[in-house]
Amino acid sequence: MSLKDIVAPFSVWKRAFEKPYTNRKPLDTRPGAPRYRGFHINAVDTCIGCGTCEEICQNEAIDLVPVKETRHGDSGLRPKIDYGRCCWCALCVDICPTGSLGMSNEYIWIDDDPEVFRFIPGYDEKSWNHAELGYRRAEGYDLLEGQRVGMPMLSFEESRKSFVEMVQGFSAEQAKAEADRCIACGICVATCPAHMKVPEYIKAIRDDNMAEGLKIVYNANPLPASCGRVCSHSCEYVCAVKHKGEALSIRWLKRYIIDQIYLGDYQKILDEGEPDNGKRVAVIGSGPGGLSAAYYLRLLGYQVTVYDANERAGGMLRYGIPEYRLPYDQVDKDIEYIRSLGVDIRQNTRIGADVDFEVVYRDHDALFFSTGLTDPYGLDIAGEDLPGVLSGLGMLDDVTEGRKPDLGASVVVVGGGNVAMDAARTSRRYNAEVTILYRRREEDMPADDEEIHEAQGEGCLLITQAIPLRIEKGDTTRLKLFWGRAEMVSDGPGRRPKPVLIEGSEEVIACDTVIPAIGQAADYSFLPEETAARLTFKRGYVEVNEFHQTAEEKIFAGGDIANPKRDAISAIANGHSAAKGIDIYLRLLQKERATF
Amino acid sequence: MNSISAAASAGTGSGSGTGTETGTGTGLSGERFPVRERFPVWKDKFSLVSSMIQRQDLAFVQVPMQTTVAFITHLRDLEGYAHLVFFTAIDYIEDGIFRLTYMLHNYRRHHDLGVQVDIPREDAGMESIHHLWPHGATYQRELKEMYGIDFPGSPGVDESFVLEGWHDIPPMRREFDTKEYSEKTYYPRPGRVTYDPTEYMKEKLYPSEAETW
Repeated sequence: MSLKDIVAPFSVWKRAFEKPYTNRKPLDTRPGAPRYRGFHINAVDTCIGCGTCEEICQNEAIDLVPVKETRHGDSGLRPKIDYGRCCWCALCVDICPTGSLGMSNEYIWIDDDPEVFRFIPGYDEKSWNHAELGYRRAEGYDLLEGQRVGMPMLSFEESRKSFVEMVQGFSAEQAKAEADRCIACGICVATCPAHMKVPEYIKAIRDDNMAEGLKIVYNANPLPASCGRVCSHSCEYVCAVKHKGEALSIRWLKRYIIDQIYLGDYQKILDEGEPDNGKRVAVIGSGPGGLSAAYYLRLLGYQVTVYDANERAGGMLRYGIPEYRLPYDQVDKDIEYIRSLGVDIRQNTRIGADVDFEVVYRDHDALFFSTGLTDPYGLDIAGEDLPGVLSGLGMLDDVTEGRKPDLGASVVVVGGGNVAMDAARTSRRYNAEVTILYRRREEDMPADDEEIHEAQGEGCLLITQAIPLRIEKGDTTRLKLFWGRAEMVSDGPGRRPKPVLIEGSEEVIACDTVIPAIGQAADYSFLPEETAARLTFKRGYVEVNEFHQTAEEKIFAGGDIANPKRDAISAIANGHSAAKGIDIYLRLLQKERATF
Repeated sequence: MNSISAAASAGTGSGSGTGTETGTGTGLSGERFPVRERFPVWKDKFSLVSSMIQRQDLAFVQVPMQTTVAFITHLRDLEGYAHLVFFTAIDYIEDGIFRLTYMLHNYRRHHDLGVQVDIPREDAGMESIHHLWPHGATYQRELKEMYGIDFPGSPGVDESFVLEGWHDIPPMRREFDTKEYSEKTYYPRPGRVTYDPTEYMKEKLYPSEAETW
């Protein structure tokens, strides 16, 4: 050791009297660069709590914690970041689908408690919460794909000429590319009425494992060939990727899985259920609700008999939806698999006419009915009984049965729902000029957006805020429809405005056919009076509990008669719940009897 | 622009000294330095395996292990590639090789040349270049530490570089399981809890729907 080594530590003391080289605390403001990756900010009202930031974080620095109220499309969770692990790589900012996450250019945070460096950006009060500067995802650089893979479809010129299916389905390459857009956040699962495990079956597509996909789909939906085509896809309205542009084509990805597997191969892949338990359950109606209940009851070991008044099974899937949206062979594919499991589906059997309700009730341990909304509402205007006024549902029914409807050269459809769109587009396929009258605005129409778009694309003329007044016999045409213009009047806050006729406005359309399609009511006439008296009804709906059990413990109900969503997937979910409910009910009953 | 390209393309010649080339440019317009014309020469002298022109100012060539250092020496002393920009490795574990890349720069021609060489992963080692550029030793020390590639004779090659007290296999080798290491070494802070959006939404929005049981 040299003398220098001994003296050096002391010589440093002379610096004590000099101006220090280091920065003094509190530090003078030296702002970070405009795009500096400093402390995180999060617009908590824009954030949907999808957890993609947590997923991509290489350092596992992010947790999702409850912060806001959980709603559809928003988990209510928000990212909490551990600055003991964060490396400020900004991948979380770059991938954030809503763009709510960013970074401020703030970079100094001093505290003697290490625990405080774990915080919820945008929620915990921080000085940098409203920083204008700092890192944001760069324009033109995206880790997520906001554009859908285009679906091959017939052109409108082609589609309106025939009943050939318009949507042609993804190729393997297209399906995989579309599946790759999914971030697997699972926000959609809550919104799907059947709570299908969407991210899991999309993963099966990415893995090219169709058998796995089929199993996942059938766990929550035994009518996927149909749903993959006509589902109301509420999942897509909450898809996190929608914040980047377009939602995943969830419905069409499901269809892709089903299209890849032959019906004959289903049995090798799917669970055939428990052995016969000797109990019998009757299902009234073979629509989506009835078939779903039948399928899950059969898997649980019950002997199931489905009674249906129509010539063929499927309910509204077959009779209400035209072939160009849902080909009959696809409805058959779903139904035939359920039938192959041993479900006895009896067609042309109307309860109350061909079989007594009491007999069905007596011969079965439980009963589920899902008879749908079958009675079309009338327009309640003069001239409604003239020849040439057809109900939308009746007309679609005729087409399904192979009877050519008598439409003439021009048709006016009244209504804004899917039945109205289907009636209009079907009329186009019989070469009629079609006008659609709807009493509210286009954005109020209950029909699916694509149905409205496609109806117009196929040449149907849409007139909104139009109220039918009366129908008269025509001069050169069969009929004349008089209608008046409506103005939208506020109906109080939080309620949609209602259409009110502008007095004195009156226009006329000469046409051969008027098709009212403004909704349907349930027909409960098959229920004997004393049975109906034991059930409770509210505004036309049968009241049920969470097991879809009615006020009469042996009778369960679901579908359009028991839920206000009135779509196939809700009916399917109801059928599934009812099957579980019936199973619980019958097991409990058995136990009770054993104890007495 | 014209004057620059003219000056830059002046010279494809066989150099006669360090960083001094003579000869007339025959380069295509827009191409600063017709490096392509050198390939046959290099192939002949140093058994060039492959070549690729990435941009007008960047090309890659691959040579066998045996001629690499001779080739680099030649490039430095006779072709103006006087600067070693960086020296790095890529682990192609599937092919059982490391690919070394010596990135060289020619100041006169404003041209970068990446010299690549594949070496076996097993007992990986390579001839040192510290005698050509002293800072080559630093790169080699780093490669030894991160990939386990030895450069016998390179000063300080066996000393720790950034990983003091490292006892595991070299961390940039692909058989090193980063996640496993990090889970073993850096455990989560106690008290952390996270929620899965799907499960959390189920609990909040539809806890009693029978079909989900």
